[in-house]
Amino acid sequence: MNAPIPAPQVSGPQIFFTIPILGGIHITETIVNGWLVVAIISLVCFFLGRNLSTRNPSRRQIAVEKLVSMLSNLLQETMGKNNMFFLPYIGALFAYSMLSSLLGLTGLRAPTGDLNTTIGFALIAFFLIQFFNIKNKGFFGWLKGFSEPVFFLTPLNIISEIANPISMAFRHFGNIASGIVITSLIYYALASVSRLLIGWIPVIGSIPILQVGIPAFLSIYFDVFTSFLQAYIISMLTMVYVGGANEAQSE
Amino acid sequence: MEFVSIDTWTIIFTWINLIILMFVMKKLLFKPVMKMLAERENEVGSMYEKAESAQQNAEKLEGEYTQKLSEAKEEAARIMKDATDAANKKGEQIVFEAQQKASASILKAQKEIEREKLNAVSEIKKDIASIAVSVAEKVIEKDINEKDYERLVEEFIESSGEEK
Repeated sequence: MNAPIPAPQVSGPQIFFTIPILGGIHITETIVNGWLVVAIISLVCFFLGRNLSTRNPSRRQIAVEKLVSMLSNLLQETMGKNNMFFLPYIGALFAYSMLSSLLGLTGLRAPTGDLNTTIGFALIAFFLIQFFNIKNKGFFGWLKGFSEPVFFLTPLNIISEIANPISMAFRHFGNIASGIVITSLIYYALASVSRLLIGWIPVIGSIPILQVGIPAFLSIYFDVFTSFLQAYIISMLTMVYVGGANEAQSE
Repeated sequence: MEFVSIDTWTIIFTWINLIILMFVMKKLLFKPVMKMLAERENEVGSMYEKAESAQQNAEKLEGEYTQKLSEAKEEAARIMKDATDAANKKGEQIVFEAQQKASASILKAQKEIEREKLNAVSEIKKDIASIAVSVAEKVIEKDINEKDYERLVEEFIESSGEEK
């Protein structure tokens, strides 16, 4: 008789080691994989941004140009010309989010599958929104903005202001983390099904044959599509919220 | 760690990662690409400018050449006309001169003829006189007076003059 299939275990990021300063800094899977993502993106950017020529661009250059101009057009449409200096941040956010999620395909734990990463993204947007609101309306104008259009809506305004980053963070985290959960559930289910089908064969029966191939198709949706979509959503929301807080001053 | 947990350091590391990535992407990707795109735009703009100025130049030159060509045609026509006029004039003059010469020579010839005629007449007169003398001598022999003789000579001359 075969041993029972271990029930799926979904855990948070593993802590590799702890730096014993400032009350202990946990170096988790999320942080290490985040460094990996930064390294990969830097390397890709290094190869993409080299040898650009104004005439006879190579295929690589055409792709890079298309990518950059698409992003900058999107930025200009959603944030306006006065916010073009956000281009590197939005690019970094998009690339970091997408590659972090895609890292889940390799079997490593996706940094965006950790709530702290997405909270990091959302907090930056939150701080930028408040910063630009204070900068453009003045401190008291910013405070006054919460009691508009009527005074008794103030609590609702504050809640909605705080709800924005929370919803952004949990949306992104939930999509990627649910991918991790569903993937492990699928592996569990496929192991059970293949045991039912071929479990009676002496040696081969112990190999969960259905686990080969099938998860790949599902991961096209759960990992590739979701990765792109969530990276797009978080970049878009950041652009819209921050752009709204720092609209072009009408002259 | 728990599946859903909050760890401040992870958030801070995420920020650090994002900031590093922002600068790396700006330096390695966005700046060079944007610079290249701006350069290309400039290049294209200057090319358009050059092309436009070249076209304007060409149009100007074309206008100039057309004008010059028409001027040259006019000039040629004028020269032709002048030459024709001059030739006509000259021809007329030549004809006129020839006519004059011809009439002069005709006049000269007529004068010559007149003179010759006069000569001939006086010669004939002499001849006739001598003939008349000899005739008269013969007539005298037949007794003809002076008066008859003179009349006879006059008659003779007149008749011979008419004959001529």
